[in-house]
Amino acid sequence: MAKKFVRIPFSPLKNAMALPSQITRPERWDVPFGDEMSDDDVERILAIPPFSRIDERAFPRSTPLRGILLNDTRIERYTPGELVVIEKDYGNSAFFILSGTVRVELEKEGEFHEEKLWRKHHNPKGWMAALAQLWRNPKLPETRNPAQYEKQIGKSGEPYIRSDRKVRIRLKNVSQILKKYKTVPIEKGQFFGEISALGRTPRTASIFAEEETELLEIRWQGLRELRQRVPEIKEHIDRLYRERALSAELQDHPIFAHLPGEDLQHVIDQTEFATFGNYDWFASFNRLAEKKTSERLKNEPLIALEGHHPNGLMIVRSGFARVSHAFGEGHRTISYIGKGQSYGLSEIVHNWKHQQQEPYQYSLRAIGYVDMLLIPTVVMEKLVLPGLSQKLLPPRLEKLSNNRGQLPELDAKIRRSQAEIDDKFLEFLVENRFMNGTATMLIDMDRCVHCDDCVRACAAAHNNNPRFIRHGPTEWEIMVANSCMHCMDPVCMIGCPTGAIHRSSQGQVVIDDATCIGCTTCANSCPYHNIRMVQIRNASGKLILGNDNAPIIKATKCDLCIDQLKGPACQRACPHDALKRINMFERESLIAWLNR
Amino acid sequence: MMTFSKRRLLGISFLFFISLLLWIANELVVVSLNPSHFFTGWVLLVTLLGLTLFNVRKKLPFLPLGSASAWTQFHIYAGFFSVVSFVLHVGWKFPQGPIQVVLFALFVGVTGSGIFGLFLSRTFPALITTHGENVLFERIPVFRNKLRAELEASVLDFVDKTNSETVADFYIERLSNFFDRPRNYWHHLLQSTRPLISLLHEIEIHQRFVNSKEQEFLDLIKGMVKQKNNLDYQYALQMTLKGWLFVHIPMTYSLMIISVLHAFIAYAFYGGVS
Repeated sequence: MAKKFVRIPFSPLKNAMALPSQITRPERWDVPFGDEMSDDDVERILAIPPFSRIDERAFPRSTPLRGILLNDTRIERYTPGELVVIEKDYGNSAFFILSGTVRVELEKEGEFHEEKLWRKHHNPKGWMAALAQLWRNPKLPETRNPAQYEKQIGKSGEPYIRSDRKVRIRLKNVSQILKKYKTVPIEKGQFFGEISALGRTPRTASIFAEEETELLEIRWQGLRELRQRVPEIKEHIDRLYRERALSAELQDHPIFAHLPGEDLQHVIDQTEFATFGNYDWFASFNRLAEKKTSERLKNEPLIALEGHHPNGLMIVRSGFARVSHAFGEGHRTISYIGKGQSYGLSEIVHNWKHQQQEPYQYSLRAIGYVDMLLIPTVVMEKLVLPGLSQKLLPPRLEKLSNNRGQLPELDAKIRRSQAEIDDKFLEFLVENRFMNGTATMLIDMDRCVHCDDCVRACAAAHNNNPRFIRHGPTEWEIMVANSCMHCMDPVCMIGCPTGAIHRSSQGQVVIDDATCIGCTTCANSCPYHNIRMVQIRNASGKLILGNDNAPIIKATKCDLCIDQLKGPACQRACPHDALKRINMFERESLIAWLNR
Repeated sequence: MMTFSKRRLLGISFLFFISLLLWIANELVVVSLNPSHFFTGWVLLVTLLGLTLFNVRKKLPFLPLGSASAWTQFHIYAGFFSVVSFVLHVGWKFPQGPIQVVLFALFVGVTGSGIFGLFLSRTFPALITTHGENVLFERIPVFRNKLRAELEASVLDFVDKTNSETVADFYIERLSNFFDRPRNYWHHLLQSTRPLISLLHEIEIHQRFVNSKEQEFLDLIKGMVKQKNNLDYQYALQMTLKGWLFVHIPMTYSLMIISVLHAFIAYAFYGGVS
């Protein structure tokens, strides 16, 4: 039979698929911070000091000052009483006042102190209320009482959507608040919020607009550029940080606790600040996790290299760093360090004690993002080490040259961790950033009988809605379940427009259901996919709709049974000791649990 | 944190100690010429009640009634203690009378299923973990159906493209049933891989008589067979881990009801010394 020829029409799609695809190369400012910034706005800002005094030639052509102002900033307007930042919330931006005045509340128990805002208070239930869950829990999933949203507002303020679609929280009776509580004004031409933005630390106070106020909000990337290029801004930020935060941070650190005021001040004056890595690590780490270890290490900015002279003690202010040791052709992860932990102490102490010049025994790399303090070796030797208690001194250092390929000692904790945590498991924790968790749900799969008592207990404690999935990545027979880890660096909290997701006074990261507007920012930011968006229903199972007839959506996640008696129900319900909530920075507990 | 081995040692020592106490107390009751059956009967009844309360604890996870793991340890050792009490109560004799026989059978059933459950709880999780991907039990039917649909679609597509019926016939005769529902339950429980090896062997035999394209396709099918086998394995072991409780718990409640009836009858018909 003769073959029938069919004319194949030209398909642009097929043709395109045959060739390599070409797109515009993604660049830093593809997504500007604010859509409404114009060249006129930039000109206006450049006319205001300190921006008017900035030498534009100090900026490279790739990141010009005008580009930073156009893409990394936005102008936000606040009406009297509107909160700009909320104490204990996380933010990724700083503010510069273009016009108007804002006020900072100084009293910790003031009117708009975090505990007194609209958020639900988390007091554990009593016995009867806990027992009543047995018959009061709704049968249907994600059931809410619509009436709770009508009058959900607390004493001081309420989130609302303005006519320009901006979500704001307004305090009532500003004049009374000003009379009743101690506040200080921050006026036109001043910065605020920069320490929290650069250091990824919680906001230390709530700030609200006293009058019609116009603020220039600068995201951290732009702020970092400005700090790097403009000495005036760098000095300003560093001075504020030294004055407001560093003193308290060093006093809390055991190594510096013994220092008299004068010496401490000298240490503060000599301390250097450094930031490594990408603040938005959570956006790219899943992609990196699929690569080989050697490639992943290349993507981690090097902070200190083993074999180099120890020029100072490094203390992590925020973020995480990987401690590794050259092994064969690669690097072996020895440990990870986080907020408050230090690197380089053993070497400095060893050299000081024995008058030797031993180099760093390990390499230190930023995992995602890390903000460090560097206290120069000279300052350590002169001021800190002479009075340091023997108990705090690390053990004698072993020489790296004799030990290549083996694991030298850093300090007792790390030594124990390397001895008792499998290397691959440690890598697994670091690669997946599970060490971020302060209440990571670990399940020993060699003991888990799949009874789901943990899931049922979780559901029983949350109106019949389980707040985790008993599934997740597994290594060394240990599963890290899909449950909120209540991270040390809670990236989910960045960008919440109403402050609904917040850290409770007990440390748990919780979502206030009443103030959540279902914007999905937190769920999209969570690198572990542990926040789920749900459509809520009334008691009869019908969806609760908004004014636009679209279903109301809420973010949900594990709250560590904050309002239950005796903590997380999942852990207490496990009959075979398979499930444990672990703070990954309490390595002693982790090791003890792994080696039961 | 206490290690498992230390906890086990403590548990066994305590069990031995308390059993010894019970035996001594029972001997004292016997020497004092009192009816020891009432003494051991009450000990047994209270122990059984304590054991049953574990299920109540599970239903109230939001109350601070102690951790379930502590309750499990109590349940295990109190369970063994109940065996000691039971032996002392019945006095190494097979009971007579219908209620006693039923009680005896129920006690043996509950104890046996409990020990079996303990054995499963300590052995199956590790087997499940080391055998392929760990799948949520509720998701197994979903994955199975998806796998079957994928295979069916692949076979139809292959037949459509190659006009070869060999693979299609083999699918209908041999694979369709295998992918239809969970298979080889008992083999999986006994850790036997014979059915899998046998099926793979049949596929390999077919591969000898087909062209290279069909051979490649059969290789693909072998991969799917292995995936289905893992799902069956997960299903068999997880089902058994859940299933034994459906024997243990109903028998426990029956045992409790008949035990109370037995106690009532024992008092009702006890003449004793007046």
